[in-house]
Amino acid sequence: MKKILIVEDDQKLRNELKIFLEKNGYEALTIEKFDNSIQDILDKKADLILLDINLPYLDGEYICKEIRKISDVPIIIVTSRDNELDELISLNNGADQYVTKPYNIQILLAKIAGLLKRSESTATNQNKINCKDFILNISKSIIEKEEKQIELTKNELKILHFLVLKKGQIVSRDEIINYLWDSESFIDDNTLTVNMTRLRNKLEEIGLKNIIETKRGQGYILK
Amino acid sequence: MRFRDFLKENLITLILLIIVLITIEILLMIYSFNILIKIYIPVSILLIYFIGIYIIYYKKKSFYNNLLNILDDLDQKYLITELINTPDFIEGKILKNIVEDTGKSMLENVNKYKYIQEDYKEYIELWIHEIKIPIATSKMIIENNKTEVTESINEEINKIENYIEQALFYARSNTVEKDYYIKKVNLKEIINNSILKNKDSLLQNKININLHDIETKVYTDSKWCTFIVNQIIQNSIKYSKEDNKKIEIYAIEKKEKVVLYIKDNGIGIKKGEITRVFEKGFTGENGRLNGRKSTGIGLYLCKKLCNRLGIGLELNSEKNIGTEVRIIFPRNSFIDIK
Repeated sequence: MKKILIVEDDQKLRNELKIFLEKNGYEALTIEKFDNSIQDILDKKADLILLDINLPYLDGEYICKEIRKISDVPIIIVTSRDNELDELISLNNGADQYVTKPYNIQILLAKIAGLLKRSESTATNQNKINCKDFILNISKSIIEKEEKQIELTKNELKILHFLVLKKGQIVSRDEIINYLWDSESFIDDNTLTVNMTRLRNKLEEIGLKNIIETKRGQGYILK
Repeated sequence: MRFRDFLKENLITLILLIIVLITIEILLMIYSFNILIKIYIPVSILLIYFIGIYIIYYKKKSFYNNLLNILDDLDQKYLITELINTPDFIEGKILKNIVEDTGKSMLENVNKYKYIQEDYKEYIELWIHEIKIPIATSKMIIENNKTEVTESINEEINKIENYIEQALFYARSNTVEKDYYIKKVNLKEIINNSILKNKDSLLQNKININLHDIETKVYTDSKWCTFIVNQIIQNSIKYSKEDNKKIEIYAIEKKEKVVLYIKDNGIGIKKGEITRVFEKGFTGENGRLNGRKSTGIGLYLCKKLCNRLGIGLELNSEKNIGTEVRIIFPRNSFIDIK
């Protein structure tokens, strides 16, 4: 499990963030004292750091710069300061991402996932997901089944990817639309229906009939 | 300043002089002086008088006319205090001193208010940063405890967030100092961020989003610009019709500018009200329709921010058909060198 360190001085926010990250399959670490923050942060050996800027003793920008001198760990700056210049300063100090409070939670998750994926050395394998009946090749946007393969459009790929991630669970149409919006495909209900039909047809073409089941009034499930 | 007017003002000296001359003439007559002397004395005295008064007039005229010309040319009239010449007559000197002192005192006063305003803006910014923490925490709590009730609270919190953002930009829009940072940004990024900010209400209102041709680079402050686009999208949501709602966003590159179009098929604006939508506090007919609460700040603020960023903002609308907002980014071939 990936370890994410939350460096945030607001206790309540810290705890909620911890619960949220744990719910989403990460191990969340926190530090409670900030008088020796740089050493404390490094000691945790996290895979990713969520760093607030307004901290007691040392500010986040300085901490970010100091950590960068020693470690390449991905850092996401989380701040309530919202202007272009602060963002530039943070990125210059070596932060990988900049998120402003109150953040869109799904986007924060997406940024975490993106950074973790990038920092992994075996990133190439990550782009292929083996789903028993077929292999989803994300980087090429194709489904592979034995010798056969079929190309997917951007939206079809995103939908299938989401279903694969939630394999065995019922996924509602709203959830799919929400997911697509967060990855910047602003589709509506009708477009989803069209994309769903096309995706099913494509799956059928390579002999994967009825692999996506419709649960009336609830959503879809990938078997 | 005309000589006649000046003379009129100094009429009393002329009258006194003439009285003196008349008494002299009477004396000359009593002592039966030569006629030549009788003529020479008043003529020469009057001549000297007029020469003297003309010299005084000329001095004053050149000083005041010069002053008036400078004042006319000045954009900021109060700067006259810095440009006034030292005259060589007493009234002028007094005037100069008065103008200088008034100017100084006014400047002090203005600075006082500038400082108060700057201080207030700083406080607002600080306050906004502070309040974002409990908002972020509340949203986290909602995310961790999703129910119908918390979802509904979430909607309200989103509204609070929007109002807070408006306040922040309102504070920023009023300051003299430069508070933005222009760099090359992709329009797509700005639009996607604005749409994502309104994701919940767009999805809830079942609004169809049609984006095309938005992969264009413009020079602007992305935060400010996102706020502007965000306000316009929010208006489109707020003033949408019952069903089949659409928002179309696209950009057209022209020779010297990039025009971003944000079109909706909402309720539109009455013909007579279109020109007034950028006025502060103007809500119009739509603002009071069906319990919509309009503050009349959104578009006013957008216009103000656009002016500061040097981008254009125009609006077209037809009642019951929809509204089209155009954001015009000037594109200077000079800064576009790659």
